[in-house]
Amino acid sequence: MNIDMVSSESKKTTVVSILGTNLDRRGKNAKRWDKWRPNIALCQQEDMIVDTLVLLHEEGFKRLAEQVKQDIETVSPETEVLFHQVDFSDPWDFESVYSQLFDFSQSYQFKPDEEDYLIHITTGTHVAQICLYLLTETNFLPGKLFQTSPGNKTNPTVGRYQIIDLDLSCYDQIASRFNQERVSGVDYLKSGIETRNLKFNKMIEQLEKVSLLSKEPMLITGATGAGKTQLVKRIFELKQQRGQITGKFVVVNCATLLGDKAMSALFGHSKGAFTGAAEARKGLLKEADGGLLFLDEIAELGLDEQAMLLRALEEKSYLPLGADKEIESDFQLIAGTNNNMNKIVAEGKFREDLLARINLWSYQLPSLKERIEDFEPNLDFELNKFAKKVGQLVSFNKGARAKYMKFATSSAASWKANFRDLNSSVTRMATLSEGGRISEDIVDDEIVRLKECWNNGLQSVNDPRNIAIKLVGEEGANQLDLFDQYLLMGVSQVCKDSKSMADAGRKLFGVSRLSKKSTNDSHRLKQVLAKFDLSFDELN
Amino acid sequence: MKKEQITIDGSQGEGGGQILRTSLSLSMCLKQPIRINNIRAGRKKPGLLRQHLTCVRAAQEICNATVKGDELCSNFIEFTPGEINGGEYRFAIGTAGSTSLVFQTILPALLQAASKSTVSFEGGTHNMQAPSYEFITKSFLKALEKIGPKVDCKLERYGFYPNGGGQWTAEINPIKETKRLKLLDRGDLVARNATTIISKIPLHVSQRELKKVAQKLNWTANELFENEVDSIGPGNLISLKLVYENTVELFDEVAQRGLTAERVAGKAVSSLKRYMNSKAVVGEHLADQLLLPMALNAGGSYITHAVSEHVRTNANVINQFIDDAISITEIDNDTVKIVVNGINN
Repeated sequence: MNIDMVSSESKKTTVVSILGTNLDRRGKNAKRWDKWRPNIALCQQEDMIVDTLVLLHEEGFKRLAEQVKQDIETVSPETEVLFHQVDFSDPWDFESVYSQLFDFSQSYQFKPDEEDYLIHITTGTHVAQICLYLLTETNFLPGKLFQTSPGNKTNPTVGRYQIIDLDLSCYDQIASRFNQERVSGVDYLKSGIETRNLKFNKMIEQLEKVSLLSKEPMLITGATGAGKTQLVKRIFELKQQRGQITGKFVVVNCATLLGDKAMSALFGHSKGAFTGAAEARKGLLKEADGGLLFLDEIAELGLDEQAMLLRALEEKSYLPLGADKEIESDFQLIAGTNNNMNKIVAEGKFREDLLARINLWSYQLPSLKERIEDFEPNLDFELNKFAKKVGQLVSFNKGARAKYMKFATSSAASWKANFRDLNSSVTRMATLSEGGRISEDIVDDEIVRLKECWNNGLQSVNDPRNIAIKLVGEEGANQLDLFDQYLLMGVSQVCKDSKSMADAGRKLFGVSRLSKKSTNDSHRLKQVLAKFDLSFDELN
Repeated sequence: MKKEQITIDGSQGEGGGQILRTSLSLSMCLKQPIRINNIRAGRKKPGLLRQHLTCVRAAQEICNATVKGDELCSNFIEFTPGEINGGEYRFAIGTAGSTSLVFQTILPALLQAASKSTVSFEGGTHNMQAPSYEFITKSFLKALEKIGPKVDCKLERYGFYPNGGGQWTAEINPIKETKRLKLLDRGDLVARNATTIISKIPLHVSQRELKKVAQKLNWTANELFENEVDSIGPGNLISLKLVYENTVELFDEVAQRGLTAERVAGKAVSSLKRYMNSKAVVGEHLADQLLLPMALNAGGSYITHAVSEHVRTNANVINQFIDDAISITEIDNDTVKIVVNGINN
């Protein structure tokens, strides 16, 4: 065998095409040759040889398919026409067409090493075109999209063709949307992130089942930034995709609902219900009718609102403020919290019966720190997310990645705000990256930034040591017992909130002063502060 | 003894497919390995198209050649010919590509074969920008007979552009003796006629064409013929024939969409008039087609019109294979004498 000849042999070209029941059907007489028939014309191109044409046709169009095959033999003796029967019960029904074409993609023996595939999208219904596009785009049909069009007036029958090479970067958005459809519910809830944490994976698996089977309320507990809102949003989308929910997704952070407004925001009010109620308001519960209501930080909900919510959950109806008729709303409730709800119930701040109602299904979202093995997949996820948003691919160089991972999974990284921290961190590094590469320098700076951010966080939170450092300096704080640090923290807070030293003293010694002969609260406070070398004025 | 490969520039002159075809014919006949670069460089779709690839493959089959670059859109080929084998061949050409061009490419080689060949063709028989089956058989082969070879053709079905589907067969007998071809004088006009060929198109089209010819040339009714034929797709052409004592000339015009019957006939008439009003013995197309068989045989000379870029390019390619094979001498404004030195002189 001559080696040169083998090497010069190029790949064969195979076209996959649907028989055009209109465009290819131009009658049986010779006049059909005057008309542009896409499946014939695609075999008549002078700069392309179609070695194989796989013609998808319905049973009722066997004859037409045979005619097309014969005519192709005339115009293109090089072409072999193969039939593949499909059964589009309704060619405009997405599901039926998609499944038929998908089955074809699974049953046909593609040999991409030997053949180039062109997926002809000119014939068939628009639904079929969309399905062919999706299957090609996801590589179930391993080819390029191929389109034909009629020629000009002097030579209409052969026409032109175009090969559309899907530049995936241009189609990222569409691709990602379709990708989401393909992944199973579980992957969907995980945003397609390959999580490794066993506990988390188990939880998500159960959550998927429950969210698809149940309409009962759910309680999701997790630290700030652990991804509660994200997860609930994806539960909603999953239910929506599966056609289980038709209404809207309504998110409310209960911490932002204050006083009287909370009531009307949630349950609505009628016109003139209170001063300033110039217009009637529907309320968020009504807005979520037929949909999903996510009440985040549910522990912050006032007791009145809790009672109303319980009624709305049990009766699927409630009375808006100032209205004399109940309104109905059927929604699914998911509540979020970062508190220990039992403790809050014990404190009398949350209704036990409401908690019982909403924690039928209760899930604890682990913090990022608790599932640190998932850090890397989440890091990649964030990088991709950034890339999609900005339209530029961002990656670490090898050393930089190793360095970042080492810090991220060490005990020094507290990931206090969980995924929110990770997201900000990636956004910062990606923004600073040059030409989409994150270098070691950028990682070094980022580690410093993260450390600072977490330390500053401590200062703003009620950390007694930090407050002590602020008040008496680091050296002074080192000399103090934790007991004294707490004492100092409490006392200083009361002082800050008080108008005068006497006022602060009255609050601080409110019990013992009653049994004292002389009440010199200011003096007692002054003595306490003197222990720390502080004065009331310094604190205020 | 093996010859060294020579390189042909496919972009020279008019830079079309003819450079490829002429080179292939010469390569086969002279056993000359070739490489052609920049194939059809100046064209809208450069490189090898299907019809060119068919020519390459046909040539390869006939002389068992080793070929590189024989791919669609390839801008080069390397062609190393082997022995020419006569015999039975069948060439089917997609896209209504011209069968006559394939025929002309392989004809010189098969004339040199040891045995008789029967070649059947499928594809286009009446295309624009290629000699029609009528022209091949009634004009080109008539002139070729004077050189020596006898080729018998039989048409089974017409194949019009763009659907093709035509079928015909050529019986090619190996050449025995060759003579110099001298066409310096037309001789007297012996006969003339206008024939339309029409298939699957309303007959009034062909009648209008004939009417126009009669009106413009003052030809009489018994010189007008209408030939309704069978083909797969629709097609029509008009063919004006002038038979002189020493030569036969045809002026074909293939009907096109968007062109009225009168206009098609008018174009054929203009070509005919240009020839009649000149001193040319050999018309523009025949002049081009005769160069190769003359150069590969006993040569000769003829008088033709001022040469087109097409003819000049063809002559240059032949001269690259055979030194000083063709010389072109201008006699006056639209008259040129071409002298061909044949290799079997």
